[in-house]
Amino acid sequence: MITEEIIKKIQQKKGDYPVFRSAIMSALHEIQNTEGWLSQESLYKVSGMLNIPPATVKGVATFYHMYRHVPMGRNIIQICTNVACMIMGAEKLVDLLKREFGIEAGGTTGDKRFSLVIMECIGACGTAPAMLVNDDFHDNLDEKRVMDILNGYK
Amino acid sequence: MQKFLLKNVDNPRSTDIREYRKSGGYKGLKKAVEMEPGKIVDEVKKSGLRGRGGAGFPTGMKWDFASRDPNFPKYLICNADEGEPGTFKDRHILERDPHLLIEGMVIAARALKVGRGYIYLRAEYPAAEVILDKAIDQAYKEGLLGENITGKGFKFDLSVHRGAGAYICGEETALIESIEGKRGQPRLKPPFPVNVGAWGKPTIVNNVETFSNLPLIIEIGPEEYSKIGNPDCPGPKLYCVSGFVEKPGVYELPMGTILRDIIYKHCGGIKGGGKLKAVIPGGISTPILPPDKIDCQMDFVNLPKAGSMLGSGAVMVFDESVCLVSVCMRAMQFFEHESCGKCTPCREGTGWLSNILERIENGMGRNGDIELLLEVASNISGKTFCPLGDGAAGMLLSFIKYFSDEFDHHIENRKCMVN
Amino acid sequence: MITVTINDREIKFDKAVTILEAARSGGIKIPTLCFFEGLEKFGGCRLCLVEVEKLPRLQTACTVMVTDGMVVRTETDAIIRARKAMLEFLLINHPLDCPYCDKSGECELQDLVAQYGAEEGRFAEGKRRHPESFDDPIIVRNMERCVTCTRCVRMCDGVQRASAITVTGRGDHSFVEPFSGGRYDCEYCGNCLTVCPVGAIMSRLHRHSYRAWFVEDEIETLCGFCGVGCSMILQMRENTILRAIPRMGMGINKGLLCARGRFGYDIIESNRRLTTPLVRKNGELKAVSWAEALGLVAEKFSEIKEQDGGEKFAGIVSPELTNEDNYVFQRFFRETLFSNNIDSIIRMFYAPAQAYFEGIFGQGITANLISGIGKSDAVVVAGGDPTKINPVLGLQVRAASGNGAKVVSLSNAAGLKRFASSEPVARSGSENFLYSALLKALIDTRGLPGRSGSIEQEIGNIKWPNDEEITQRTGLRKSDIEKVAEDLKDPKNISVIIGPDIMINNGLMGLFLIAAIIYVLDARIYLLSERPNEQGVIDTGCMPDTLPGGRPLEISSFREKFEQEMGYGVPGQKGLTLFEMFEAIGKGDIKAAYVMGDNPVFNLPAADRIREAMSGLDFLVVQDAFLSETAKMADVVLPAALWAEKDGTYVNLERRIQRLHRAKKSVGGLEGWQIIAGISGLMGSRMEYNSARDIWEEITRASHLYGSVSYEDLATDKSLWPYKGEPLRSGKWEIKIPEEVVEKTGHGCHVYPDRLLFHSGSFSRYSPALNSIQAEPYAVMHPDTAKSIDIKDGDRIKIAAANGWSIELVSKVDNEIRDFSVRVPNVFEGVCVMSLVDYGIEPGTGAPVWKLSDIKIEKVQ
Ligand SMILES: Cc1cc2nc3c(=O)[nH]c(=O)nc-3n(C[C@H](O)[C@H](O)[C@H](O)COP(=O)(O)O)c2cc1C
Ligand code: SF4
Ligand code: FES
Repeated sequence: MITEEIIKKIQQKKGDYPVFRSAIMSALHEIQNTEGWLSQESLYKVSGMLNIPPATVKGVATFYHMYRHVPMGRNIIQICTNVACMIMGAEKLVDLLKREFGIEAGGTTGDKRFSLVIMECIGACGTAPAMLVNDDFHDNLDEKRVMDILNGYK
Repeated sequence: MQKFLLKNVDNPRSTDIREYRKSGGYKGLKKAVEMEPGKIVDEVKKSGLRGRGGAGFPTGMKWDFASRDPNFPKYLICNADEGEPGTFKDRHILERDPHLLIEGMVIAARALKVGRGYIYLRAEYPAAEVILDKAIDQAYKEGLLGENITGKGFKFDLSVHRGAGAYICGEETALIESIEGKRGQPRLKPPFPVNVGAWGKPTIVNNVETFSNLPLIIEIGPEEYSKIGNPDCPGPKLYCVSGFVEKPGVYELPMGTILRDIIYKHCGGIKGGGKLKAVIPGGISTPILPPDKIDCQMDFVNLPKAGSMLGSGAVMVFDESVCLVSVCMRAMQFFEHESCGKCTPCREGTGWLSNILERIENGMGRNGDIELLLEVASNISGKTFCPLGDGAAGMLLSFIKYFSDEFDHHIENRKCMVN
Repeated sequence: MITVTINDREIKFDKAVTILEAARSGGIKIPTLCFFEGLEKFGGCRLCLVEVEKLPRLQTACTVMVTDGMVVRTETDAIIRARKAMLEFLLINHPLDCPYCDKSGECELQDLVAQYGAEEGRFAEGKRRHPESFDDPIIVRNMERCVTCTRCVRMCDGVQRASAITVTGRGDHSFVEPFSGGRYDCEYCGNCLTVCPVGAIMSRLHRHSYRAWFVEDEIETLCGFCGVGCSMILQMRENTILRAIPRMGMGINKGLLCARGRFGYDIIESNRRLTTPLVRKNGELKAVSWAEALGLVAEKFSEIKEQDGGEKFAGIVSPELTNEDNYVFQRFFRETLFSNNIDSIIRMFYAPAQAYFEGIFGQGITANLISGIGKSDAVVVAGGDPTKINPVLGLQVRAASGNGAKVVSLSNAAGLKRFASSEPVARSGSENFLYSALLKALIDTRGLPGRSGSIEQEIGNIKWPNDEEITQRTGLRKSDIEKVAEDLKDPKNISVIIGPDIMINNGLMGLFLIAAIIYVLDARIYLLSERPNEQGVIDTGCMPDTLPGGRPLEISSFREKFEQEMGYGVPGQKGLTLFEMFEAIGKGDIKAAYVMGDNPVFNLPAADRIREAMSGLDFLVVQDAFLSETAKMADVVLPAALWAEKDGTYVNLERRIQRLHRAKKSVGGLEGWQIIAGISGLMGSRMEYNSARDIWEEITRASHLYGSVSYEDLATDKSLWPYKGEPLRSGKWEIKIPEEVVEKTGHGCHVYPDRLLFHSGSFSRYSPALNSIQAEPYAVMHPDTAKSIDIKDGDRIKIAAANGWSIELVSKVDNEIRDFSVRVPNVFEGVCVMSLVDYGIEPGTGAPVWKLSDIKIEKVQ
């Protein structure tokens, strides 16, 4: 459901740009923030709100990898596996997560508690390995720390 | 060395405008509003500042082009996409000293007669968005943004535009497409953004760190500023060091600091007393260097002479325990993943290279694979639409140039040299 | 002056061009793939890389502009290696299924690989897979073959501006997809097919049925579906059309087509075509020989002519037929039958509207180049959706909008939805209130130009409705109208596009108000034209009151001169107009009718009354390609050739005369003029024509209009109005503003025919391809309308009119309909919405004006 509140936020964002359609990325973020993902209906709504052809909305929404096109779990583990994190052991952490939660990259646990997303560099190379859980940054990870941190997410 | 860019970052309340002011913040702006816009451009030109986003283009020259363009409105964009793996310097400023950036941008807006600015912030930095939004709010409240800045009657609005996970949007024309709300693919140049940028209007794109140098330049004047670092490309520089050093992190040092010094003096040497195997000096788009090449100065002029590039100043240090085939493979997977898909060689070539590297890494390499890698990479190199493909090819070529034995070993023995 | 050296040859230019253009103009070939003339520059495929002296990197010839003194090389070893490398890259993910691919033989990738190699496959990994999509009726896409040149997307976005497809994903996971991921659900113009260089987007119509090299012949001819007059090529083998394709840059359409033009050609090959003449025997139509059928017509016509004279005939011609067919028909009627009772369906809008505007502003006032619309700084659209009625013209409106023009749409024009800067749509039937309010507002902002006293005097006599009245009648607010006036305040170069709904909704009053708006805006006029040769019908004198060339026949000096020159007589009294003929038929005043290529009992308003009248005729001859509703009532049915089977000329809405070229021989049908000349000969007046050319030459003798245009001139600019002469535009300022003809009484829902993008007239129903896009009629209405009568989208409903007629069909609820009307396409067999509408006649023009009467809608279980 796209709430009145989201619509209001999107309308507000329009004012930031000389051309309404430029608010599309914000609009997609706003919807994803509440819904967790971008359904076909949501894309269609954005098309209507900003007067952008639906296909164009889809083209934009699928270009950027942080827009999600399938429903996600309540918490999204976004773990970096790029070089700096990789050499500091990120792969092992990914294996741990896969094993521990029985999910593949891109997958979601049966209880919808976690989704696992493999990330490119998240700018924590000096304190690698690192991950984002939802909007929270966690770095200097090791297996134990990862599990401790995740225990805090229900 | 005295810190200019990072002087506030250790203050836990550094994001607050009062704290920023306490340490002399917004003085540069105060001075700038008393100056003719053209004069500011001149000072920046004189300072010799070169863009910190990767290409090292002289900022004053870019500004000069933009200010000569008769079209208005003009737009100012801060490139805070910081996607180059190994780089985390902009994040430092964004999260810990947002007012430094804002001050820099307002000075630029004043100089270039721009009324509207955006900070193109990568979505991987959600915390920075909150911090920036708050700082911008404060700046508005204090009359440092908005209709009548510092009471001097000039207007500048600023907001954050959030990316959504696309490395290519760090490239300035792709970034502009993205701000316009399109797929972030690079545009043809010419025309250049300084003439035809966002929404067809003159647009100036600079990196976070570049903007952050401006208050300093205005405050101490271009002469003093150009005494810092290498006279050919002066100023303080943020180096971000990751990998196998004792103290990884962001270091503010004079431009042109010797790479060896960065690793051994400032970062405390190789972690656990290990042996250095290789360094990538400027983010993974820049060629890797073997240990015997680390006595060069880290700047836009000297690194190319040593066979690499300064890029974003992201130093990645590998010790003997690291398998460079796997590093190369992972880096290539990154390029494949981030290729925008617009041009043939980058779209298809990076994928193909990843395939071959994966095969080698997995012990399925074949005779002739190295030659094939070299050929595919040179078929990409110099033929792509934007520098992303070149970066991928150059990275690979440098790995093979210096470390082909490691690749050979992988292919012949179907396993890694190091573990 | 710019001098460039390419491969050691100096080439000079006055203006900067790309290296590619420069090379091509010097006859030097540079391979390209993503480049396509007319599309936005892209520079992605990297096949056109060339060396430019002093530049370190190879440059893309398709994007880099030449500069003075530039030295370019296009065939060095490095370049050839680069091209080969790019092709190798393109092939790594390509399925290499050429033996199975319909594009084989005309595939740009195949040709390039043949030339530059990449002969051995060094890619040893798994290819990217993507399922082939058959979700669409007429398009099949195979994204594994796609080379991501984005030509289709740039076409769809930047030219067709339908934006139905996009590149989704990124990098080597980029695919071209519509929003749904499945069906395109688009305008099906198929222009993406034209530009796809490989077999990624293809037509399903000829899937696996032929190969490029099967084509034996290519005939350039015209589309027969509307008055734009697009050029296209029919590819032939053994008297069958393999497919219709445009060539970029060709014709006034510059290589664009709409769904009808590109896919509707299968009508020609329909197995429902009539192949032999039919004659009614014992109440049933029976196949007979041509000799028997024509003999019977001649005999019956002679009998009636002898007994009752020429006034007892009704002749209906068709704007779907050529000038040659129509000219010969009028000659037959006038000379052989001695009757001026000749008219056609263009009486509904095109003819009266043109006559009216010419009366005010001068002859040829509607003859304007379609390409001028795109260059306008404002476009006003009233009375219909140009993107549906004349799709390729509609693109020009979108292009204008893309260039920053203000587009004002005063009618339900869903195809302009994203392009209009304002769209005030009045409740149907109340448009005159909108027009007059707008006129008033424009006079306030722009002032009266003072060029014509008479029109300003008439404007002065207008009783302006007050704001309250306007809102109450039209449902529009004052601010809506002010917005339009604001948009139109400054533009200088304005096009006004006028569709058929003005005439039938608002009558001459509507036309006058629009004329006054045009006067105030000093705008160019475009009349939408639903059929391919509406102008030609007027030009060839197929009107009850004018001779070929448009001269009034009642002026005896004109008539006598004509008779002298042409050697045949013309009755001195004007004949009956279309609707007068039906009235006369109804009263028994007319005994025989010849309907050439139309379907009046389906296509005309109050179709049921027309059918009833027609059934009272003594003798009805229908010449048609199909057994239409009207043909089914005939005594004699004569099978006709269709446009692809003919030579001849059409005149498009710009008044450009264009030539049709026969692509195939009709299997059983004859061309209109052949049939008519045959009957005429049997009746004693011999017409000696061997070809369309012979007739053209006679037309140029008969008509001062075409007088100067020789057959050879027809493909040139000389066939463009005013045909080598000076434009005759001194306005006569002849202004008639009659009373409203019919009282607009109904207050509830009204039903109107809907005009479709995918169909045209009532005969496109015989196209399997067009039917595969849309085979079913529907009643489209605004959500509010639907709600008020408790109907949901997809309900089966019955619409009943006051006259007792009803139709059953499915509802479609869509806010593309902006007012309180229900629109039903008048195309499909069994659903004749024209039987539900009634009309009154404008005395001055003989055109019908809708009577609004309430309809009843109920759900059917
Ligand atoms: C593939 C690619 C990625 C880039 N990414 C970034 C980036 O993340 N941040 C940045 O500031 N500049 C990036 N750049 C450089 C920008 O294009 C541009 O040069 C820079 O924003 C200009 O600012 P500066 O002159 O202040 O350095 C990138 C360039 C390329 C080709
Ligand atoms: S616009 Fe008209 S003439 Fe052109 S292809 Fe379509 S129907 Fe045919
Ligand atoms: S034709 Fe020039 S890059 Fe494709």
